[in-house]
Amino acid sequence: MRLFDILRRSLRNLRTAQMRTILTALAMSVGTFALTLTLAASNGARQYGNTIITNNFDPTALIVSKDKNFFKQNTANQPQEYNPSFGTVTSAIGGSRQIQMLDDNDLARLRDLPGVKSVRPAISLGLRYITRDGARKYVATAQAYNAYRTPDLLAGAIPASIPTHSIILPEAYVHALGFTSAGAAINQTVRLAVNKQASASALTQLLAKNGANGLSSPPANSVEERFKVIAVLKKPSSLLVASNGLTLYVSEPDIIALNDIATKGSSDYHTYLTAYVEVANGTNSANLTTVQNEIQKAGYGAESVLNAEQAITQVITVLQGIVSIFGAVAVIASLFGVINTMYISVLQRTREIGLMKALGMHKKDVARLFEIEAALIGFFGGIIGSILAFVAGTIANPFIAKALGIGNTKLLQFNAAQILGLIIALIILAILAGFLPARKAAKLDPIVALRTE
Amino acid sequence: MLQVTDVQRTFKSGDTTVTAVGGVNFKIPEGKFASIVGQSGSGKTTLLSLLGGLDKPTSGSIEVDGQDITKMHDHQLIGYRCRKIGFVFQQYNLVPNLTAIENVMLPMEFAKVPVAKRQARAKELLAQVELSEDQMKRKPGRLSGGQQQRVAIARALANSPALILADEPTGNLDSQTGKMIFDLLHSLSRSQNTTIVVVTHDLSIAGKTDKVFRLKDGKLVR
Repeated sequence: MRLFDILRRSLRNLRTAQMRTILTALAMSVGTFALTLTLAASNGARQYGNTIITNNFDPTALIVSKDKNFFKQNTANQPQEYNPSFGTVTSAIGGSRQIQMLDDNDLARLRDLPGVKSVRPAISLGLRYITRDGARKYVATAQAYNAYRTPDLLAGAIPASIPTHSIILPEAYVHALGFTSAGAAINQTVRLAVNKQASASALTQLLAKNGANGLSSPPANSVEERFKVIAVLKKPSSLLVASNGLTLYVSEPDIIALNDIATKGSSDYHTYLTAYVEVANGTNSANLTTVQNEIQKAGYGAESVLNAEQAITQVITVLQGIVSIFGAVAVIASLFGVINTMYISVLQRTREIGLMKALGMHKKDVARLFEIEAALIGFFGGIIGSILAFVAGTIANPFIAKALGIGNTKLLQFNAAQILGLIIALIILAILAGFLPARKAAKLDPIVALRTE
Repeated sequence: MLQVTDVQRTFKSGDTTVTAVGGVNFKIPEGKFASIVGQSGSGKTTLLSLLGGLDKPTSGSIEVDGQDITKMHDHQLIGYRCRKIGFVFQQYNLVPNLTAIENVMLPMEFAKVPVAKRQARAKELLAQVELSEDQMKRKPGRLSGGQQQRVAIARALANSPALILADEPTGNLDSQTGKMIFDLLHSLSRSQNTTIVVVTHDLSIAGKTDKVFRLKDGKLVR
């Protein structure tokens, strides 16, 4: 018998038992629905994770620390011996660790490594305040602007190279500083104040003048610098970037200069917790890994975007696995439905099978007829489930995005190849489920089958 | 030509052996219409199953067109049933979800006949058994007993078999319709030069066939 004829006959049989076919396919579609949504959610979560990474990490840069253990979790359960030359880092949950700091010699050493394009210290400078004429003073944090970011702007423009004494202002400061709009802030001047370490001579004078009490209230010693607003950043979705949207961005030389003012005379002067090492042709992950290995060989700790991606992917994969188990359980349960349906079908059509075998239908064609019927049920289950999941996901996406505040990001991302793979897997499983009933049908003795009422 | 030589079929039932057909010999020339008559339990249907390749004899040989079917493997028997044999049953045995024309096309599907050819042949055969165009498109449930048996006869002829085996073909029909079906089989044996073997317990019908074999307790009697 030709395969096409068997397929046609199978479709015909399924149409005859329409309600049974639909119900069995619907049972299969429940699992497909769950699995399609799980896959879509993990696709979305992965993409979302990557968006977070690209919004927060320079993909061509490595984050380098002097301490190899800096990027490792603070899981040590043994006390760490104190070293006076190290800085101390306290984590958010209160655990303290000593971390070695990078200095100018380290930066120079890193610059000399092969494949390194540039090295810049990671500076996040807590300002004393930001203000402008006639406005109140607000605390703020400043960082160097890095061109890998492509932030949404409310006004102004960001040139490829930021001129010194220019500032990119977050949206939140526009009204705080008394500007009527983001546009009105452009080309206006703001003032940044940096705490200056009291010099030894100033402190000596203070001691001589007021005695020991004088040291309890050192003179307010800050330096104000003037900056011109060149752009205003739109407030980013809190879920898309790690920052709180209150960071001011200035040029690289400016942040170094401000940091120097703030740290001169202290042990922090020209020492840095981490530095960004930009890799030549760093978009090529092989280059990134090579340089990362070089840096680690030189005795430093280095972390790349790939590591961050791996960490996020690992979490998502585990979550996906857990949710997939529920979908898989639903699919397995529905397979028993397929087996049941096919057995009933064989029983109901015993006489018909006997007749067809008497008329010259081969055993293998009888088996194939029932296997194809099972496969078609699997196919319909897969199609129904994935279409329902797609429709539900498309409807739900805007609501999810709104609830999570992630803008236009679609958290449920459907992938045609995955859905196709899922449907093919269901077809194969359904064929396996139909195997025993099909074998029963193929083995029927035509004489006995024809006598069945 | 159908030649049956010393055909025996026994079944084991616990410790005892039951002989359904015991040492049957007969010969039917090509294109002849023969009947096998006998009481219920005389072994008629078993003999018909043996002739149709649905069952294998314990001993003996059955030659159809010079081929001994008792020596055939299972898959060869399927081919034999498909191309050499046409079955007509007392219960008609039409597939309920197929139309009359589709039922006739079924054996041709198994014989891998191209779709267009199947359709033309099925129509031609149904016209020969005097089914109207409208009736051809009906499913068995919407046809009378006589019409259904005519569809079954058309189906038996689909692959131009050498032998048509009919098991009580008129058993479910009233006498008038039964006579019509019988006449139809008779005329077909002549027009198509097909050998027809009918199993019946109706002696009035058997009397009109070219040859009559009487079966009693699995053996032919005079």
